[in-house]
Amino acid sequence: MSDSDKPLHTLVEELPESSMTTRLLGLLDYAVPGEWQNITNFEAMVKNVTGEDDQSLIQSVGERAIQLYNDPSNGYQRAVWIYQMLDDTQGIFGMAALGNKLSGDFDFLSFLGDITPKADTAQAVDAGVKLVGELTAFCLVNGMPGDSIGDFAAAFGNAQKEDAMRLAAFLAFDCVLPLGPDFLLKLSDGISSLSDSVLGSNGRFARIASLLPTPDLESSKALITQNFDATKGVLDKFASEKGIEQSSVFGKIKGILGAADDKLDYVAAGIDLVSNHFEHTGIQSVARRVISRAYGEI
Amino acid sequence: MKLFTLLMGVGAFAVLLTGCGKEPSRWDQAATQTVSAAAAPKVEGAKLNAFFPADGTDGMSRVFSQEKDGFVEAKLKKDGQDVATLSISDASADEGVKSKFASASDKVGDHPLVTVGKNQSAVLVANKYQVKVSSQTLDPDARKALLSKFDLAGLSKP
Repeated sequence: MSDSDKPLHTLVEELPESSMTTRLLGLLDYAVPGEWQNITNFEAMVKNVTGEDDQSLIQSVGERAIQLYNDPSNGYQRAVWIYQMLDDTQGIFGMAALGNKLSGDFDFLSFLGDITPKADTAQAVDAGVKLVGELTAFCLVNGMPGDSIGDFAAAFGNAQKEDAMRLAAFLAFDCVLPLGPDFLLKLSDGISSLSDSVLGSNGRFARIASLLPTPDLESSKALITQNFDATKGVLDKFASEKGIEQSSVFGKIKGILGAADDKLDYVAAGIDLVSNHFEHTGIQSVARRVISRAYGEI
Repeated sequence: MKLFTLLMGVGAFAVLLTGCGKEPSRWDQAATQTVSAAAAPKVEGAKLNAFFPADGTDGMSRVFSQEKDGFVEAKLKKDGQDVATLSISDASADEGVKSKFASASDKVGDHPLVTVGKNQSAVLVANKYQVKVSSQTLDPDARKALLSKFDLAGLSKP
């Protein structure tokens, strides 16, 4: 499914203005108010990042950003590829039941009848893999900013704009909703109980494993554990400060999707299949960072 | 008149054909290029961190946000809000970038200072490093004052 080698402006402008993903992200505005605007026009993104309105300057910044993105050695294309893989549902059970993932008006309730929720362990593994993907993409895009782990944690924890929305969506839809208030504990348990067979059979993990700097599953598991330990404080603080709780998230979802009962695991599994929150906000994040760099370099 | 109608028809057909494919855009030419100076050796990003204004400058926190070969960026924040974006880039191989400083009429220390657009101020250090302050709230004087908080003297040493 990956088309991360398309030109940057094309990736931005092919994002939907309205879709199930944008509706789901929109309901998290309560947690990260005003941080995310669904910018799907490249010129608008350049203007948003720079605040400039001189067209020749906008052209220069935009062109340099596109050129920076075009060079695979800059890492931006691989970051977008990871974001796309994290939302890729290929081979995931239940996908066959899904007609059109991008359609904004399909019947979510009847769709839920066709899917099977994941066991807690599988959900924890899935969330762990997504966290590793997010951190890997972050490093591909931004490098390792600063001189210490503290600087890195500050950079990651200072999520704004699309980054903040993606972190909120990850915590809400991939962690809190399916795993509940003690999601960090379940994540930790899930990760520590990982076996090669579980990890090796996780479709997403198998696909992004090729990008991890680890030679085998055992060291990949160690990497997931380290990443989790380094960022769980940031995740916990973000979720509690932003009011991302199971009841508040489910309340919002009920309003938009019409889910009537409290089958949270079904709803979480359904959202996993219909939402492209990593890819959508990931492309916007990469565009913002590359444009900001281009503006600094021209 | 018939010829005109015919030409109009051909024109409309051409527009229709274009519409069937991808619409041309102002960005298409750049999409086939990479940054020409990319092949030139670039200073390792981490070596530039030390020349940024210190954390706590003017009561603001400094958070590094990007570190790539030849480019480092940090945000200055007050009460959680971005005040300015600071960057140092290695422009040694980019004559196009450096040429804008030839007409500079102002300086920070010995370094030529220009404004770019309405939200950016830049100095060129040792004909090699471009140091920029970008802000959608600070005026040129405030941006110039921030530029003077970089260790420009240190950066200019070979």
